[in-house]
Amino acid sequence: MPREIITLQVGQCGNQIGMEFWKQLCLEHGISKDGILEDFATQGGDRKDVFFYQADDQHYIPRALLIDLEPRVINGIQNSDYRNLYNHENIFVSDHGGGAGNNWASGYDQGQHVEEEIMDMIDREADGSDSLEGFVLCHSIAGGTGSGMGSYLLETLNDRYSKKLVQTYSVFPNQMETSDVVVQPYNSLLTLKRLTLNADCVVVLDNTALNRIAVERLHLSNPTFAQTNSLVSTVMSASTTTLRYPGYMNNDLVGLLASLIPTPRCHFLMTGYTPLTVERQQANVIRKTTVLDVMRRLLQAKNIMVSSYARTKDASQAKYISILNIIQGEVDPTQVHESLQRIRERKLVNFIEWGPASIQVALSRKSPYVQTAHRVSGLMLASHTSIRHLFSKTLSQYEKLRKKQAFIDAYRKFPMFADNDLSEFDESRDIIESLVDEYKACESPDYIKWGMEDPNNMLTGEGNAAGSLDPKSVA
Amino acid sequence: MNQTTVANFEKPIGCYSPSVQELIVIDDVLSAMVGIEGRYILIKTVRGKNDDISFLVDPSMDLALQELAKRIFPLCKSFLLIDQFVESRSQFQNGLVNHAFSAALRALLLDYQAMVAQLEHQFRFGRLSLQGLWFYCQPMMRSMQALSTVIQKASVNNISGSAVLNLLQSQAKAMAGDNAVRLMLEKMTQCASSAYMSILERWVYEGVIDDPYGEFFIAEDKSLQKESLTQDYEAKYWRQRYSLKDGIPSFLANIAGTILTTGKYLNVMRECGHNVQVPPSENSKLMSFGSNHHYLECIKAAYNFASSELLNLINDKYDLTGRLRSIKHYLLLDQGDFLVHFMDIARDELAKKPDEVSVEKLQSLLDLALRTTAAAADPFHEGLTCVVERSSLLRRLGTFNDLEVSQRSSTDNDLEETVSITGLETFSLSYKVHWPLSIVLSRKALAKYQLIFRFLFHCKHVDRQLCGAWQIHQGVRALNTRGTAISRSSLLCRSMLKFINSLLHYLTFEVIEPNWHVMYNRLQTANSIDEVIQHHDFFLDKCLRECLLLLPELLKKVERLKSMCLQYSAATQWLISSSIDLGDSEEPVDSVGLNKAKRKSGQVLKSTTKNVAVTDSVLKFEKEFNTELQSLGSILSNNSQAEPYLAHLAQWILGVKNEQNGL
Repeated sequence: MPREIITLQVGQCGNQIGMEFWKQLCLEHGISKDGILEDFATQGGDRKDVFFYQADDQHYIPRALLIDLEPRVINGIQNSDYRNLYNHENIFVSDHGGGAGNNWASGYDQGQHVEEEIMDMIDREADGSDSLEGFVLCHSIAGGTGSGMGSYLLETLNDRYSKKLVQTYSVFPNQMETSDVVVQPYNSLLTLKRLTLNADCVVVLDNTALNRIAVERLHLSNPTFAQTNSLVSTVMSASTTTLRYPGYMNNDLVGLLASLIPTPRCHFLMTGYTPLTVERQQANVIRKTTVLDVMRRLLQAKNIMVSSYARTKDASQAKYISILNIIQGEVDPTQVHESLQRIRERKLVNFIEWGPASIQVALSRKSPYVQTAHRVSGLMLASHTSIRHLFSKTLSQYEKLRKKQAFIDAYRKFPMFADNDLSEFDESRDIIESLVDEYKACESPDYIKWGMEDPNNMLTGEGNAAGSLDPKSVA
Repeated sequence: MNQTTVANFEKPIGCYSPSVQELIVIDDVLSAMVGIEGRYILIKTVRGKNDDISFLVDPSMDLALQELAKRIFPLCKSFLLIDQFVESRSQFQNGLVNHAFSAALRALLLDYQAMVAQLEHQFRFGRLSLQGLWFYCQPMMRSMQALSTVIQKASVNNISGSAVLNLLQSQAKAMAGDNAVRLMLEKMTQCASSAYMSILERWVYEGVIDDPYGEFFIAEDKSLQKESLTQDYEAKYWRQRYSLKDGIPSFLANIAGTILTTGKYLNVMRECGHNVQVPPSENSKLMSFGSNHHYLECIKAAYNFASSELLNLINDKYDLTGRLRSIKHYLLLDQGDFLVHFMDIARDELAKKPDEVSVEKLQSLLDLALRTTAAAADPFHEGLTCVVERSSLLRRLGTFNDLEVSQRSSTDNDLEETVSITGLETFSLSYKVHWPLSIVLSRKALAKYQLIFRFLFHCKHVDRQLCGAWQIHQGVRALNTRGTAISRSSLLCRSMLKFINSLLHYLTFEVIEPNWHVMYNRLQTANSIDEVIQHHDFFLDKCLRECLLLLPELLKKVERLKSMCLQYSAATQWLISSSIDLGDSEEPVDSVGLNKAKRKSGQVLKSTTKNVAVTDSVLKFEKEFNTELQSLGSILSNNSQAEPYLAHLAQWILGVKNEQNGL
């Protein structure tokens, strides 16, 4: 079964969105809650084997690992209708069940201790596949387990499966409301470093934006986690449609990502989806959906699942580096060209100037088993320079906290920060800052010469990261 | 008239009184009317090229009587001619039309003879004067005259088959003013054509040619076998197995094409083992009446039946649409996941030289790839086979004579020969097509599919290589590469990826998919297999053209760009590893090493001269690529006036920015 993808869902948030993702996939492929293929779904034509494999009794099992340091969410899954779907050998809950206390360092440290056990599970899954294409990590970056342990897993995967792709679906915290996790900026910063260095692609799921969309677009006054999670699962399943419903292009993950990601570090993608609905709540108004409508709506900020903190001046500078629109449903292929032409004429997209850029389109089949009110739906995956503002925001929040030396003690308890060695923070900060710089440079027409004119850089390549120690060698 | 002839008369008629003379003359004329010589009227036949018959009258005959008798002679002559004609044409070698015509004439002559007998009867009762005879002959005169003209023409050219029918018909038209004659000639036409019509009937109702004398206007070439369709590039079977001959009866001339296809369709169904017959109805008997065009309606009804029946057969039993869709999955990569897997597992085999590649091995790998991907659900995937051709796509196109490859330059070969080609350049898929689908999916149609496939396949290959290069770049993201050759190289990699992706996007979403969609809709409303063939061929030709395959100049540019991409991606590993100082020189520089290296974020990029060399070669790649891309862009925009689709491609390849700058 070629080009398989193994999903790792880590932490409370990771397992929640992972759960939603598998629910959606089961629905789309006509797989029952027990993993049995429904009678109506035997026609085929889809690729279930990318995300599932079949047990001896032919029932489908997700290629998924459920990992958490506290049992609540995973117990919930095990008591749900879907308890028989997963391979129980693939569930890991730490023995003490005490979680990571929203502390990145704790999650990272515990990750180190259970590395062997988890890697055994991963190796077993990897051996069970013909030609593993890569891993998908679902987690949040603000808590303890998803961020800390997720970070550790990213580093380990990079080491052990250096030729495999690692894609993450990373939930960024809601920064509009005061969080109960006060150390959120620390956790985010430390995780962001791993996302920058150890992942091939990060799909940014910004809780702030998801909430905004739920409130403004779906008219939910108080969106629940389940509701925002269903938005996430919609995005996750839509972004994998070209792998599951093969078409002309983007039938493998590497092809999908390579066309979107310009430079090794600028691999953060934002998403947009239209038309949006959440479970049990059909769209209030069923609109006419054509390819042009969908593509046009995908470009509107209100449908983008990343919030922009940019000021107006910066916002006008922001540019798209690449866009892939995955259009699903009954599409008249002759409309595609026309729609792109229209968008081009109206200058609806602001592209980078230092290289060729255009909207790429993938037409994909829609699951025949899921009824939707809309004829056409679309997902946008885009690399956009405005994402740097999200990182800047994290940085500035971190700086505020760091200046006060607030809550640092909780981190010092762990080896990485022992002996008051806070260089990991500094290094992470520098890396994120250079990432922000790189995105900013992308907005200039001379990006291609970026850094070239600096003779020091040219000669030594010494950057912000230079001089620090390998965190692993410390451990 | 000389004396000796006259001397043969036993006793000059002049010896008798005029009233006696009249009786004798009437008697003689009545005999002459049925071709018997009388005492004073002799029949003289001059054998020759045109048989000529003359009547000799005793010169001593009363002049008035002579005059009257002579007026009747043409009738006698016509009778003789017709009678002779009937005799001679009844022989078997003259064909069914002549037989039928003769029979009709014979019937007419019988009527005539009956009339003469009537007159003779009257005469015996003394109720017939010569004047009266002349009067009674009047109505026959013109008809017999006209018929004798016809048969004279017919015997001069010794015609048979449809020519006879045409002659009769044109004569009937020429006589349009004389109602009686016209009706008679039309009756003759109808009788003469009845045999012909039954040949026609068998053809349009059963698809059988039952034509022992070769009179029918459709010829069958039995040497062409239906199996040849899968081999024969020209699809001769379909086009030449049955063909129109010369000498189409004029009353069928307008509908001859329809008649040909009707039988052809019925034939196809019979060849498929379906004994189809146009269901007989009350009025389905084919008859030709002068002004009654019932037969035309019958033929049209038969045609409609045959074509819709054949279409149903092809669509329902042989599932043409399913086949086309299946071919689209594989040869046009509309369901490209199998190819990803195939290229994964066949990588090593395809990298060999074309004559070293084992087709059997590729075939088994292909089968494996098909079984394990979405293609497994397609019942038709078994028709897919591997082909490794000998020459590159550009050269193959050069030999593709039938296509109007424009501006074929004589220097075609040099470019290709320098690059050693591998299985990747010559790999192709083929699809087993069986009768009767081979009518639509002929050898030629498949060859066109293959050309498109080879182009797409190679683009996919380039794309994969560039994805590999992209992944190598991803491997060094832990290093701060700002301002180094690596960052420059990753941007070049992006440009190349963008190029190949845009090209693929254009080929698939701008050319193949919309055109397929249009064709598919047309096929749903097609009324006959010929329309299906026409729409399908149109689709293929349009795709070939818009895929640049008919524009060698452009294609060569694209190929050059692709080969640059390949060279670059082959060099990437070296470029990246040379620009990183691993610090630990013993460590092998493979991608695993790189990944280890990147973990040590303290890595310093090489500052040696080697780094300069790397930068230089990246810049060189970049410059060459950009120059070539720009030149392709300008060719595209220059030609976009004539070929508007090129503007679309230019938009894709050059992106938005350049376009805004007015390029």
